[in-house]
Amino acid sequence: LLLDLLERHAFTEQVFCFSSVVEEFGHIALESLRRGSSPKIYESAAKKLFVPMEMVQHGVEGLVFLLMESSKHMISEVNFLDCVLVLGFSEEVNRFLLKLYQEHQGQIRTIMKQLICSQPTYQNLEWRLDVQLASRLLRQQIVPTVVTRLFLTSGTDSSSRVLQTDPRTLLHIIYTLEAALAAVKTSHTRRILRNIK
Amino acid sequence: MELSESVQRGLQLAAEPSSVDHRGFQALVDSCFRSLLSSQGDPAVLDEPELKHVDRIQLKQVHSAATTFILEAVKQDADKSAVSSSLEELSFSTERIEIFYSSYQKHKKELERLLASIGRSPARINDVSWRLQYNTKNGQLDKVNEPSYLISLNTENQGTSEDISFTCTTEQLQDLVGKLKDAAKSVEKASQM
Repeated sequence: LLLDLLERHAFTEQVFCFSSVVEEFGHIALESLRRGSSPKIYESAAKKLFVPMEMVQHGVEGLVFLLMESSKHMISEVNFLDCVLVLGFSEEVNRFLLKLYQEHQGQIRTIMKQLICSQPTYQNLEWRLDVQLASRLLRQQIVPTVVTRLFLTSGTDSSSRVLQTDPRTLLHIIYTLEAALAAVKTSHTRRILRNIK
Repeated sequence: MELSESVQRGLQLAAEPSSVDHRGFQALVDSCFRSLLSSQGDPAVLDEPELKHVDRIQLKQVHSAATTFILEAVKQDADKSAVSSSLEELSFSTERIEIFYSSYQKHKKELERLLASIGRSPARINDVSWRLQYNTKNGQLDKVNEPSYLISLNTENQGTSEDISFTCTTEQLQDLVGKLKDAAKSVEKASQM
């Protein structure tokens, strides 16, 4: 991790001399983590700071890398400071970087978690109770149906499916999923959860 | 009940003892209900020994007319008086009406279920399976350490089945189960009204 950082940050050293610049870079780095990087932002920042655009880009990329790697391993405060110490920034800059890391670690991990979710994730379920009263083939009927709309998200895409079920199957589904919820509380599961850390 | 001319003609043939005798009539009624409920489209349904001496063409006419009559009666939820008066108009004897009606009564519920199930509807959930896994680390993140569920809904739509799979955390699964329970509660309340 350290060696990697050194290489990437070689370009940024001069830039990071002033804490105001670091703050600006910090904001841009967080923005590009949230929304993806954009040359436009680099350009306007470069104009503001009177430096070449490449310098801004390298600086931000280095910072993004630092934040992602630290968040990935959830490194401690001491380890984080050790890392940035090697880069030779001022004390003030190091403190700012630590604060940036600590404040946004959770958010960065959430963003990174989305990267690996190949499978859709549950988001919401809406339901409605319908009673079928008549159809082309049968004029008088009472068929209760539970119509549901299942919302799933996959990365940034979200989709929904309309599904229906009858009351008896609904009870069966609830019963089965309650067993699933109970499974996480068994001593077997708790033992594994305690021991793999 | 309004019946088309060909249905009326077919039923009149069934009412006529000279074309369908007494034993044959019972077998005919049975085979009509059977062809609607179990042996779908099976041509052997008319190969009963009791029906051997009935003219094949007439037998087919009678069969199609009787099955149409049955479906129409079930569709309109016809009661005994409606069925009887319709058959009387087509010169059925009281005895034959009785034979027909007892079979009709016996199979009506089943036929209603069958007819209610025909038509368009969203995919229906038949079953659900689940798997609990402990997410420890991956290419992007170390120390994830949280349990997650893989849920797979087995759905069916017009004969084709499809599995809808998704992952969720324990909290999300609790949310899902809570909502399904709300739905079940409202079904229960509605059924008590």
